[in-house]
Amino acid sequence: MQNRLLSVVVVLLVVLAASPAFAQAKFDPHDFSGYWLRNSIRPKDHPPLTEAGKKAITGRHADDDVKLPTDSNDPMYKCNPQGFPRLVWEENEPIEFVMLNDRVLQLFQWERTLRELWLDGRELPSGENLENLGPAWYGHSVGHWEGDTLVVVTTGVDERAWLDEYGNPKSFDAKFEERYRMIDADNIEGRLVINDPKNFTAPWVQPPSTFTRMKPDEVEYFGWKGLFSGLTDAICAPINETNFDNRIKIPGALGIQK
Amino acid sequence: MNRAVIALLGIASIAVPLFAHHGRGATYDDKKIITANAVITEVAWRNPHVAIYMDIKDENGKVTNWGMESQNVSSLTRLGFFRNTLKPGQEITIKFNPSRAGAPVGVIRKIYDSTGKEVLSFGGSIDQ
Repeated sequence: MQNRLLSVVVVLLVVLAASPAFAQAKFDPHDFSGYWLRNSIRPKDHPPLTEAGKKAITGRHADDDVKLPTDSNDPMYKCNPQGFPRLVWEENEPIEFVMLNDRVLQLFQWERTLRELWLDGRELPSGENLENLGPAWYGHSVGHWEGDTLVVVTTGVDERAWLDEYGNPKSFDAKFEERYRMIDADNIEGRLVINDPKNFTAPWVQPPSTFTRMKPDEVEYFGWKGLFSGLTDAICAPINETNFDNRIKIPGALGIQK
Repeated sequence: MNRAVIALLGIASIAVPLFAHHGRGATYDDKKIITANAVITEVAWRNPHVAIYMDIKDENGKVTNWGMESQNVSSLTRLGFFRNTLKPGQEITIKFNPSRAGAPVGVIRKIYDSTGKEVLSFGGSIDQ
Protein backbone atom coordinates (compact mmCIF):
# COMPACT_ATOMS: atom_id res chain seq x y z
CA MET A 1 0.00 0.00 0.00
CA GLN A 2 2.78 2.38 1.00
CA ASN A 3 4.74 1.50 -2.12
CA ARG A 4 1.73 2.18 -4.31
CA LEU A 5 1.21 5.58 -2.68
CA LEU A 6 4.89 6.35 -3.15
CA SER A 7 4.64 5.38 -6.84
CA VAL A 8 1.67 7.67 -7.33
CA VAL A 9 3.52 10.56 -5.68
CA VAL A 10 6.61 9.96 -7.82
CA VAL A 11 4.55 9.81 -11.01
CA LEU A 12 2.75 13.00 -10.04
CA LEU A 13 6.05 14.77 -9.36
CA VAL A 14 7.45 13.65 -12.73
CA VAL A 15 4.32 14.88 -14.55
CA LEU A 16 4.44 18.21 -12.70
CA ALA A 17 8.13 18.68 -13.39
CA ALA A 18 7.52 18.11 -17.10
CA SER A 19 4.55 20.48 -17.27
CA PRO A 20 5.03 23.96 -18.77
CA ALA A 21 4.14 25.65 -15.47
CA PHE A 22 7.18 24.12 -13.83
CA ALA A 23 9.49 24.38 -16.79
CA GLN A 24 12.30 26.76 -15.97
CA ALA A 25 13.94 28.08 -19.09
CA LYS A 26 17.59 27.15 -18.92
CA PHE A 27 19.96 30.07 -18.94
CA ASP A 28 23.63 30.81 -18.45
CA PRO A 29 23.78 33.25 -15.51
CA HIS A 30 26.95 34.77 -16.94
CA ASP A 31 25.38 35.56 -20.30
CA PHE A 32 23.40 38.82 -20.28
CA SER A 33 23.29 38.98 -24.10
CA GLY A 34 20.11 40.56 -25.33
CA TYR A 35 17.84 43.56 -25.04
CA TRP A 36 16.62 44.77 -21.67
CA LEU A 37 14.31 47.40 -20.29
CA ARG A 38 14.51 48.69 -16.73
CA ASN A 39 10.95 48.82 -15.60
CA SER A 40 10.75 50.82 -12.40
CA ILE A 41 10.25 54.51 -11.76
CA ARG A 42 12.88 55.97 -9.47
CA PRO A 43 11.31 57.70 -6.48
CA LYS A 44 12.13 61.28 -5.59
CA ASP A 45 14.73 61.32 -2.89
CA HIS A 46 17.42 63.60 -1.53
CA PRO A 47 19.95 61.86 0.72
CA PRO A 48 21.70 63.72 3.55
CA LEU A 49 24.19 66.05 1.90
CA THR A 50 27.54 67.31 3.13
CA GLU A 51 28.25 71.04 3.01
CA ALA A 52 29.97 70.48 -0.34
CA GLY A 53 26.94 68.56 -1.57
CA LYS A 54 24.62 71.39 -0.56
CA LYS A 55 26.85 73.87 -2.36
CA ALA A 56 26.92 71.67 -5.47
CA ILE A 57 23.15 71.69 -5.89
CA THR A 58 22.70 75.40 -5.17
CA GLY A 59 21.10 77.01 -8.20
CA ARG A 60 19.81 73.75 -9.66
CA HIS A 61 16.16 73.97 -10.62
CA ALA A 62 14.78 70.49 -11.22
CA ASP A 63 11.80 70.03 -13.51
CA ASP A 64 9.89 68.67 -10.56
CA ASP A 65 10.39 71.88 -8.57
CA VAL A 66 9.49 74.52 -11.13
CA LYS A 67 6.13 75.73 -12.34
CA LEU A 68 7.19 76.22 -15.93
CA PRO A 69 9.44 73.71 -17.68
CA THR A 70 11.29 76.66 -19.16
CA ASP A 71 12.46 77.47 -15.62
CA SER A 72 14.33 74.18 -15.19
CA ASN A 73 18.07 74.30 -15.84
CA ASP A 74 18.52 70.54 -15.99
CA PRO A 75 21.33 70.18 -18.57
CA MET A 76 19.62 67.23 -20.27
CA TYR A 77 16.86 69.52 -21.53
CA LYS A 78 19.48 71.23 -23.66
CA CYS A 79 20.40 67.83 -25.06
CA ASN A 80 23.53 67.43 -22.95
CA PRO A 81 24.45 63.80 -22.15
CA GLN A 82 22.50 62.38 -19.26
CA GLY A 83 25.70 60.71 -18.14
CA PHE A 84 26.20 57.88 -15.70
CA PRO A 85 24.35 56.72 -13.66
CA ARG A 86 21.30 58.56 -14.97
CA LEU A 87 21.10 56.89 -18.37
CA VAL A 88 21.18 53.41 -16.84
CA TRP A 89 19.41 53.87 -13.53
CA GLU A 90 16.84 56.55 -14.25
CA GLU A 91 15.90 56.26 -17.92
CA ASN A 92 13.47 53.53 -18.90
CA GLU A 93 14.93 53.01 -22.34
CA PRO A 94 16.26 49.87 -24.04
CA ILE A 95 19.77 48.61 -23.25
CA GLU A 96 21.62 45.85 -25.07
CA PHE A 97 24.26 43.82 -23.25
CA VAL A 98 27.03 42.45 -25.44
CA MET A 99 29.29 39.91 -23.75
CA LEU A 100 32.91 39.98 -24.96
CA ASN A 101 35.94 38.16 -23.57
CA ASP A 102 37.54 41.23 -22.08
CA ARG A 103 34.52 43.45 -21.38
CA VAL A 104 30.80 43.79 -21.35
CA LEU A 105 29.30 46.45 -23.59
CA GLN A 106 26.11 48.23 -22.67
CA LEU A 107 24.57 49.78 -25.77
CA PHE A 108 21.94 52.42 -25.18
CA GLN A 109 19.21 53.13 -27.69
CA TRP A 110 18.72 56.50 -26.01
CA GLU A 111 21.62 58.81 -26.91
CA ARG A 112 22.88 55.99 -29.19
CA THR A 113 25.84 55.59 -26.89
CA LEU A 114 27.67 52.86 -24.98
CA ARG A 115 29.56 51.93 -21.82
CA GLU A 116 32.54 49.60 -21.71
CA LEU A 117 32.68 47.55 -18.50
CA TRP A 118 36.23 46.18 -18.51
CA LEU A 119 36.70 42.63 -17.22
CA ASP A 120 40.37 42.23 -18.25
CA GLY A 121 41.75 42.83 -14.78
CA ARG A 122 42.77 46.44 -15.27
CA GLU A 123 42.65 48.61 -12.20
CA LEU A 124 40.11 51.30 -11.69
CA PRO A 125 41.92 54.57 -12.39
CA SER A 126 42.77 56.56 -9.27
CA GLY A 127 44.99 59.36 -8.05
CA GLU A 128 47.22 60.93 -10.68
CA ASN A 129 46.01 58.52 -13.38
CA LEU A 130 42.40 59.47 -12.80
CA GLU A 131 43.34 63.16 -12.75
CA ASN A 132 45.10 62.75 -16.09
CA LEU A 133 42.23 60.83 -17.65
CA GLY A 134 39.84 63.50 -16.50
CA PRO A 135 36.08 63.39 -16.27
CA ALA A 136 33.93 61.43 -18.70
CA TRP A 137 30.17 61.66 -19.09
CA TYR A 138 29.92 57.91 -18.52
CA GLY A 139 33.00 57.54 -16.29
CA HIS A 140 35.54 54.72 -16.34
CA SER A 141 34.31 51.25 -15.41
CA VAL A 142 35.86 47.93 -14.39
CA GLY A 143 34.00 44.77 -13.49
CA HIS A 144 34.42 41.26 -12.12
CA TRP A 145 32.25 38.29 -11.33
CA GLU A 146 31.37 37.35 -7.76
CA GLY A 147 29.64 34.02 -8.30
CA ASP A 148 26.77 34.82 -10.65
CA THR A 149 26.81 38.54 -9.90
CA LEU A 150 28.56 40.96 -12.23
CA VAL A 151 30.05 43.69 -10.03
CA VAL A 152 30.97 46.93 -11.79
CA VAL A 153 32.70 49.92 -10.25
CA THR A 154 32.70 53.27 -12.04
CA THR A 155 34.54 56.48 -11.25
CA GLY A 156 35.65 59.70 -12.94
CA VAL A 157 32.19 60.93 -13.91
CA ASP A 158 31.60 64.43 -15.21
CA GLU A 159 30.10 66.49 -12.39
CA ARG A 160 28.21 68.75 -14.79
CA ALA A 161 25.67 66.02 -15.57
CA TRP A 162 23.20 65.79 -12.72
CA LEU A 163 23.06 62.57 -10.77
CA ASP A 164 19.32 62.40 -11.36
CA GLU A 165 16.31 64.41 -12.44
CA TYR A 166 16.02 65.87 -8.94
CA GLY A 167 19.31 67.72 -9.24
CA ASN A 168 21.33 65.59 -6.82
CA PRO A 169 25.10 66.04 -7.13
CA LYS A 170 27.88 63.62 -8.00
CA SER A 171 31.61 64.07 -7.72
CA PHE A 172 34.46 63.14 -10.03
CA ASP A 173 35.92 60.96 -7.26
CA ALA A 174 32.67 59.15 -6.45
CA LYS A 175 32.63 55.37 -6.81
CA PHE A 176 29.46 53.77 -8.10
CA GLU A 177 29.04 50.05 -7.45
CA GLU A 178 26.57 48.22 -9.68
CA ARG A 179 25.59 44.60 -9.16
CA TYR A 180 23.80 42.68 -11.90
CA ARG A 181 22.44 39.16 -11.38
CA MET A 182 20.12 37.11 -13.56
CA ILE A 183 17.26 35.86 -11.44
CA ASP A 184 15.80 33.90 -14.35
CA ALA A 185 16.16 33.78 -18.13
CA ASP A 186 14.25 37.03 -18.62
CA ASN A 187 15.10 39.19 -15.61
CA ILE A 188 18.26 40.78 -14.27
CA GLU A 189 18.19 42.16 -10.78
CA GLY A 190 20.20 45.36 -10.62
CA ARG A 191 21.56 47.20 -7.61
CA LEU A 192 23.44 50.45 -7.30
CA VAL A 193 25.27 51.95 -4.36
CA ILE A 194 26.74 55.45 -4.64
CA ASN A 195 29.84 56.09 -2.57
CA ASP A 196 30.41 59.81 -2.73
CA PRO A 197 31.77 61.06 0.61
CA LYS A 198 32.36 64.49 -0.88
CA ASN A 199 28.62 65.02 -1.41
CA PHE A 200 26.81 62.49 0.77
CA THR A 201 27.19 61.81 4.49
CA ALA A 202 26.86 58.04 3.90
CA PRO A 203 26.80 55.62 0.95
CA TRP A 204 23.52 56.03 -0.89
CA VAL A 205 21.85 52.67 -1.57
CA GLN A 206 19.39 52.84 -4.44
CA PRO A 207 16.19 50.78 -4.53
CA PRO A 208 16.71 47.55 -6.51
CA SER A 209 15.71 47.59 -10.16
CA THR A 210 14.74 44.82 -12.52
CA PHE A 211 15.87 44.78 -16.12
CA THR A 212 13.38 42.69 -18.08
CA ARG A 213 14.20 41.05 -21.40
CA MET A 214 12.40 42.80 -24.24
CA LYS A 215 9.98 40.88 -26.43
CA PRO A 216 11.27 40.13 -29.93
CA ASP A 217 8.70 42.43 -31.57
CA GLU A 218 9.92 45.32 -29.43
CA VAL A 219 13.35 45.24 -31.04
CA GLU A 220 12.38 44.21 -34.55
CA TYR A 221 11.17 46.81 -36.99
CA PHE A 222 10.22 46.10 -40.58
CA GLY A 223 12.15 42.84 -40.45
CA TRP A 224 15.28 44.47 -39.04
CA LYS A 225 16.31 43.35 -35.60
CA GLY A 226 18.39 45.43 -33.21
CA LEU A 227 18.30 48.50 -31.02
CA PHE A 228 19.13 50.84 -33.87
CA SER A 229 17.33 49.11 -36.72
CA GLY A 230 14.63 50.84 -38.64
CA LEU A 231 14.39 53.63 -36.09
CA THR A 232 15.12 57.30 -36.22
CA ASP A 233 18.19 58.00 -34.08
CA ALA A 234 17.28 58.27 -30.43
CA ILE A 235 19.63 61.22 -30.19
CA CYS A 236 18.61 64.47 -28.55
CA ALA A 237 19.96 66.77 -31.25
CA PRO A 238 19.83 70.45 -30.25
CA ILE A 239 18.57 71.35 -33.72
CA ASN A 240 15.49 69.20 -33.09
CA GLU A 241 15.01 70.25 -29.51
CA THR A 242 15.18 73.96 -30.31
CA ASN A 243 12.53 73.54 -32.98
CA PHE A 244 10.32 71.67 -30.54
CA ASP A 245 10.90 74.22 -27.76
CA ASN A 246 9.97 77.12 -30.01
CA ARG A 247 6.85 75.52 -31.42
CA ILE A 248 5.45 73.62 -28.45
CA LYS A 249 7.32 73.74 -25.15
CA ILE A 250 7.64 77.52 -24.76
CA PRO A 251 4.19 78.46 -26.19
CA GLY A 252 2.63 75.72 -24.08
CA ALA A 253 4.27 76.92 -20.88
CA LEU A 254 3.79 80.63 -21.45
CA GLY A 255 0.38 80.58 -23.14
CA ILE A 256 1.56 82.11 -26.40
CA GLN A 257 -1.32 82.29 -28.91
CA LYS A 258 -1.09 81.82 -32.66
CA MET B 1 -7.31 35.58 -8.27
CA ASN B 2 -7.13 36.35 -11.99
CA ARG B 3 -9.48 39.25 -11.49
CA ALA B 4 -7.20 40.64 -8.79
CA VAL B 5 -4.21 40.34 -11.09
CA ILE B 6 -6.05 42.08 -13.91
CA ALA B 7 -7.14 44.86 -11.54
CA LEU B 8 -3.56 45.37 -10.44
CA LEU B 9 -2.34 45.44 -14.03
CA GLY B 10 -4.97 48.04 -14.76
CA ILE B 11 -3.70 50.26 -11.99
CA ALA B 12 -0.12 49.77 -13.12
CA SER B 13 -0.91 50.81 -16.68
CA ILE B 14 -2.64 53.96 -15.50
CA ALA B 15 0.23 54.77 -13.16
CA VAL B 16 2.75 54.92 -16.02
CA PRO B 17 3.43 58.61 -16.48
CA LEU B 18 2.96 60.21 -19.85
CA PHE B 19 6.31 61.88 -19.41
CA ALA B 20 8.94 60.37 -17.21
CA HIS B 21 11.21 63.31 -16.42
CA HIS B 22 11.16 65.01 -19.77
CA GLY B 23 10.82 68.64 -18.82
CA ARG B 24 7.11 69.33 -18.68
CA GLY B 25 6.64 70.76 -15.22
CA ALA B 26 2.99 71.71 -14.95
CA THR B 27 2.53 72.72 -18.58
CA TYR B 28 -0.45 70.46 -19.19
CA ASP B 29 -3.69 70.06 -17.32
CA ASP B 30 -3.75 66.32 -16.86
CA LYS B 31 -7.22 66.47 -15.27
CA LYS B 32 -8.77 68.04 -18.37
CA ILE B 33 -9.28 66.12 -21.59
CA ILE B 34 -10.50 67.79 -24.75
CA THR B 35 -11.97 65.78 -27.62
CA ALA B 36 -11.76 67.35 -31.07
CA ASN B 37 -11.96 66.54 -34.74
CA ALA B 38 -8.79 67.57 -36.55
CA VAL B 39 -6.93 67.46 -39.84
CA ILE B 40 -3.27 66.45 -39.69
CA THR B 41 -0.90 69.08 -41.12
CA GLU B 42 2.52 67.70 -40.13
CA VAL B 43 4.08 64.76 -38.31
CA ALA B 44 7.46 65.82 -36.88
CA TRP B 45 8.96 62.37 -36.45
CA ARG B 46 11.96 63.35 -34.36
CA ASN B 47 13.58 62.66 -31.05
CA PRO B 48 13.41 63.40 -28.24
CA HIS B 49 9.75 64.35 -28.77
CA VAL B 50 7.46 63.46 -31.63
CA ALA B 51 5.08 66.34 -32.37
CA ILE B 52 1.95 66.12 -34.50
CA TYR B 53 0.48 69.34 -35.84
CA MET B 54 -3.17 69.57 -36.80
CA ASP B 55 -5.89 72.05 -37.69
CA ILE B 56 -8.84 72.23 -35.32
CA LYS B 57 -11.96 74.29 -36.03
CA ASP B 58 -13.59 75.94 -33.02
CA GLU B 59 -17.34 76.47 -32.52
CA ASN B 60 -17.14 79.77 -34.40
CA GLY B 61 -15.56 78.13 -37.39
CA LYS B 62 -12.10 79.58 -36.73
CA VAL B 63 -9.32 77.17 -37.66
CA THR B 64 -6.21 77.07 -35.45
CA ASN B 65 -3.13 74.97 -35.96
CA TRP B 66 -2.41 73.04 -32.76
CA GLY B 67 0.87 71.39 -31.80
CA MET B 68 0.37 68.09 -30.00
CA GLU B 69 3.30 66.42 -28.36
CA SER B 70 3.95 62.81 -27.67
CA GLN B 71 6.70 60.48 -26.58
CA ASN B 72 9.95 59.69 -28.34
CA VAL B 73 10.29 57.75 -31.57
CA SER B 74 11.33 54.45 -30.02
CA SER B 75 8.52 54.51 -27.44
CA LEU B 76 5.93 55.17 -30.16
CA THR B 77 7.41 52.50 -32.38
CA ARG B 78 7.15 49.97 -29.56
CA LEU B 79 3.44 50.85 -29.44
CA GLY B 80 3.13 50.11 -33.17
CA PHE B 81 2.83 53.77 -34.19
CA PHE B 82 5.15 54.69 -37.06
CA ARG B 83 6.16 57.73 -39.07
CA ASN B 84 3.48 57.18 -41.69
CA THR B 85 0.68 55.98 -39.44
CA LEU B 86 -0.87 59.43 -39.82
CA LYS B 87 -0.44 61.55 -42.92
CA PRO B 88 -1.00 65.25 -43.64
CA GLY B 89 -4.57 65.83 -44.80
CA GLN B 90 -5.91 62.90 -42.80
CA GLU B 91 -8.99 63.47 -40.65
CA ILE B 92 -8.80 62.20 -37.09
CA THR B 93 -10.37 62.54 -33.69
CA ILE B 94 -8.06 63.38 -30.82
CA LYS B 95 -8.33 63.37 -27.04
CA PHE B 96 -5.67 65.51 -25.41
CA ASN B 97 -4.64 67.34 -22.25
CA PRO B 98 -4.43 71.04 -23.08
CA SER B 99 -1.85 73.60 -22.00
CA ARG B 100 -2.86 75.18 -18.69
CA ALA B 101 -1.78 78.54 -20.04
CA GLY B 102 -4.28 78.36 -22.90
CA ALA B 103 -1.90 78.02 -25.84
CA PRO B 104 -2.96 75.84 -28.80
CA VAL B 105 -0.72 73.10 -27.54
CA GLY B 106 -1.52 69.76 -25.96
CA VAL B 107 -0.29 66.33 -25.06
CA ILE B 108 -1.82 63.38 -26.90
CA ARG B 109 -3.85 60.86 -24.93
CA LYS B 110 -5.70 59.07 -27.74
CA ILE B 111 -6.06 59.38 -31.50
CA TYR B 112 -8.73 57.70 -33.63
CA ASP B 113 -8.85 57.53 -37.40
CA SER B 114 -11.93 58.53 -39.44
CA THR B 115 -13.43 55.07 -39.01
CA GLY B 116 -13.20 55.38 -35.23
CA LYS B 117 -10.29 52.95 -34.94
CA GLU B 118 -7.86 53.80 -32.17
CA VAL B 119 -4.40 54.41 -33.61
CA LEU B 120 -2.60 55.73 -30.53
CA SER B 121 -3.31 55.48 -26.82
CA PHE B 122 -1.58 56.47 -23.59
CA GLY B 123 -2.40 56.44 -19.94
CA GLY B 124 -5.10 53.81 -19.56
CA SER B 125 -8.80 54.57 -19.66
CA ILE B 126 -9.75 58.21 -20.14
CA ASP B 127 -13.35 57.91 -21.23
CA GLN B 128 -15.05 61.11 -20.22
